[in-house]
Amino acid sequence: MQQHEIHHFLERYFQANECDIVENDEGYMTVQLSIELDKELMNRPFYWHYIERTGGTPAPMKLTLITKQTEKTSSLDGERLHFGSPRLHQIFQSAQKRGSYIRLYEQITASGQSFVPLHPWLGLNVKISYQCDRKRDQLLSLGVHLISGTIVEQFQERLQQLVLTPKIPDYCFTISPLIKPQSGLGRLEQYIKHRIEQDDHAWAKEAKERWDEDLALLDHFYEDMEEKPECYYIEKEALEEQYKPRIIVSVINGGLFYLQPRS
Amino acid sequence: MIDIEFDTSWKKGFLERVEKDGPWTSWELYQLSLEAATHLSVPDFDGLQAPKHLPHLTPLPHQLEVARQVVEKMNGKAILADEVGLGKTIEAGLILKEYMIRGLVKKVLILVPASLVSQWAMELNEKFFIPAVQQKKSYVWEQCDVVVSSIDTAKKSPHREIIYQQQYDMVIIDEAHKLKNNKTKNYEFVQNLKKKFCLLLTATPIQNRIEEIFNLVSLLKPGHLGNAAYFTEMYEKKRSLQTDEHLKALVNKVMIRNRRADTGIEWSKRHVETVMIEFSNEERELYNAVQALKYYDTKSLGSQFSLITMLREACSSREALFLTLKNMMDKYDGDAPAYFQELLEKMNAVTTNSKAEKALELIQNINDKVIIFTEYRATQLYLQWFLKQQGISSVPFRGGFKRGKKDWMKELFKSRAQVLIATEAGGEGINLQFCHHVINYDLPWNPMRLEQRIGRVHRLGQMNDVHIYNFAVKDTIEEHMLKLLYEKIHLFERVVGELDDILAKMNMNDFEDYLHDIFFHSRSEGEMKIKIENLTAMIDFADQLAKGGEHYAAT
Repeated sequence: MQQHEIHHFLERYFQANECDIVENDEGYMTVQLSIELDKELMNRPFYWHYIERTGGTPAPMKLTLITKQTEKTSSLDGERLHFGSPRLHQIFQSAQKRGSYIRLYEQITASGQSFVPLHPWLGLNVKISYQCDRKRDQLLSLGVHLISGTIVEQFQERLQQLVLTPKIPDYCFTISPLIKPQSGLGRLEQYIKHRIEQDDHAWAKEAKERWDEDLALLDHFYEDMEEKPECYYIEKEALEEQYKPRIIVSVINGGLFYLQPRS
Repeated sequence: MIDIEFDTSWKKGFLERVEKDGPWTSWELYQLSLEAATHLSVPDFDGLQAPKHLPHLTPLPHQLEVARQVVEKMNGKAILADEVGLGKTIEAGLILKEYMIRGLVKKVLILVPASLVSQWAMELNEKFFIPAVQQKKSYVWEQCDVVVSSIDTAKKSPHREIIYQQQYDMVIIDEAHKLKNNKTKNYEFVQNLKKKFCLLLTATPIQNRIEEIFNLVSLLKPGHLGNAAYFTEMYEKKRSLQTDEHLKALVNKVMIRNRRADTGIEWSKRHVETVMIEFSNEERELYNAVQALKYYDTKSLGSQFSLITMLREACSSREALFLTLKNMMDKYDGDAPAYFQELLEKMNAVTTNSKAEKALELIQNINDKVIIFTEYRATQLYLQWFLKQQGISSVPFRGGFKRGKKDWMKELFKSRAQVLIATEAGGEGINLQFCHHVINYDLPWNPMRLEQRIGRVHRLGQMNDVHIYNFAVKDTIEEHMLKLLYEKIHLFERVVGELDDILAKMNMNDFEDYLHDIFFHSRSEGEMKIKIENLTAMIDFADQLAKGGEHYAAT
């Protein structure tokens, strides 16, 4: 993530969370936090507890974030952000928490002659982690049509081509799903499982080999002992935790999308 | 087939919202959430993610290579055995960070010598943004994810029991050569720790005997060198060139050892110059007067420590001496013995500081950035004032400064001032490589601290030759220290870190106390000289040992 990307991300994050960006110049910004974000980011529970108990006027903090070293920012009192800084990761987490569930409608300008039907889709962005003593992630964006059960990939990219709105547009109506959201989720799970099964799992085989190798060494180490000491079992357990191949599927976010049917 | 786990937490929240018709997020936040996840995901098993999270850190090529090897080839269990000064801590930090970024490690136990606990915690926080916490209260074990502690604390009850209940993902042990003996409590404690990923750090993997490496490796990966019976038979009894080679190859699968010479790093030269200073008559009289205190009533003087401190202060500045003297006089409640008054008068008679004059002359000649190290704050203040009188800008620096202030002072020094006057090496992480001249205005009695001072400028990455000027006043305690000890053991010519090895060999933790003892209890100059010579010989001997032991260690 480049510094200007971080800057852009921050702008959008604070705007989306209804915070005033008081100053926004090259390489830095000063934000007037909302009460909500102050509580989430500034870690001062005692202050907020006090204000709430005494009924005082809340004064959420201003935050100056510096994303680039310039002549101006070098004398500025603020936090320097880069890809590894804890503050940015805190904001990432906050964004992930706040952007988990959604429902949107496609914005269309209907003529008013006839009503336009919008079809329900369940969209899901997931992260698949392949994990042993090493790890890699893969992101997948899926959508299931809750009428026909059709599943499409790169669903997020499709959505990004459209204009979406949180309120149902005029002269539109939604078709209620034949497939319930819960079963839609089940179908996507099955789809992901099937897709994973098709993958090449050399990584898991190799991890198992490493595991077996270390296990054999361990057994050899204690082979002369009739009764194995406790540390033998501890070590054995540690090897399992270290090497055992696992695949973890976690949902990043998702929701319901009502879209105009396309041929 | 491999287990597939579906995280169900999202589903629950989603179904609730479907039922209650919200609340729903905005399209922008939804996209930001996905973008954050994309940035945080790791697309490949191979390679290192940590460097791009650490833009302020510029690891050296060999450090990056170590980190890569440990993750990719050694499955996260390794002995890091670089020679001192090559940055084992950086390597360990990189590896830990890598695993944390990949989400493979969350709970971490770091066991280090007690004297290094705070330094480790600070470095992990500042250099690696890893929220490491020093273990001070017993709830820390359970509530904090990354805990730094001394092994001596950890192995004791009730800590031991609590630690065994934690599920650590990674265990890091610094100075791991202390675990060379498998009969010790420490060894047993570590053996019973669950070690999913594990790093053992030591600069001296083998000190004396070959089974030391067996014990160390068996802690990390039991069975890698066979069991005890097999090892004795194979590598000790039937020892030959061939089995040695075989052992070396095996050890190298779990141990990485870089040597200074192999890193390909060009160390710039270090020019050391002793600058002898002649006291003015008044200064000499003051010094002699302090020295004479030894024959007075030493009870009121407190300890030998005070007298030696005062002598050293007298060599630094009368301001430094005055502070100590005043503190002593205060204890008498206005009823101080007469010799204090005498000392004060002698002090008032001193109008110049010969050392400061010399420093000024030197700074003017150098005409470049200079760091002056002094042991005393009073001297620091005096020098700042003195240099200002002469139109030379300087900034002060103390170990106690907060991180932000340290950085600020460093910037000031870099951009505006010619001289930095520091009372301490200023802690780790402060890099003053842009400066190539160091004046040791007075000398610390702990050679490690002297090394740290020099290490601020003469370190990996310094491109220029470094000039070190050691000040010592003729016919004083300072001259003895410098000429009899530091120069004899070639302290100033040694590569950073070497001395650490040597002192470790000698088990010399209380170097400073030892010196105090020599200076105070010697009844004559001759006796003192002999005692210091003995010490020098011991250091030489340990040095030989350190070098001799090397051929055992696998390369």
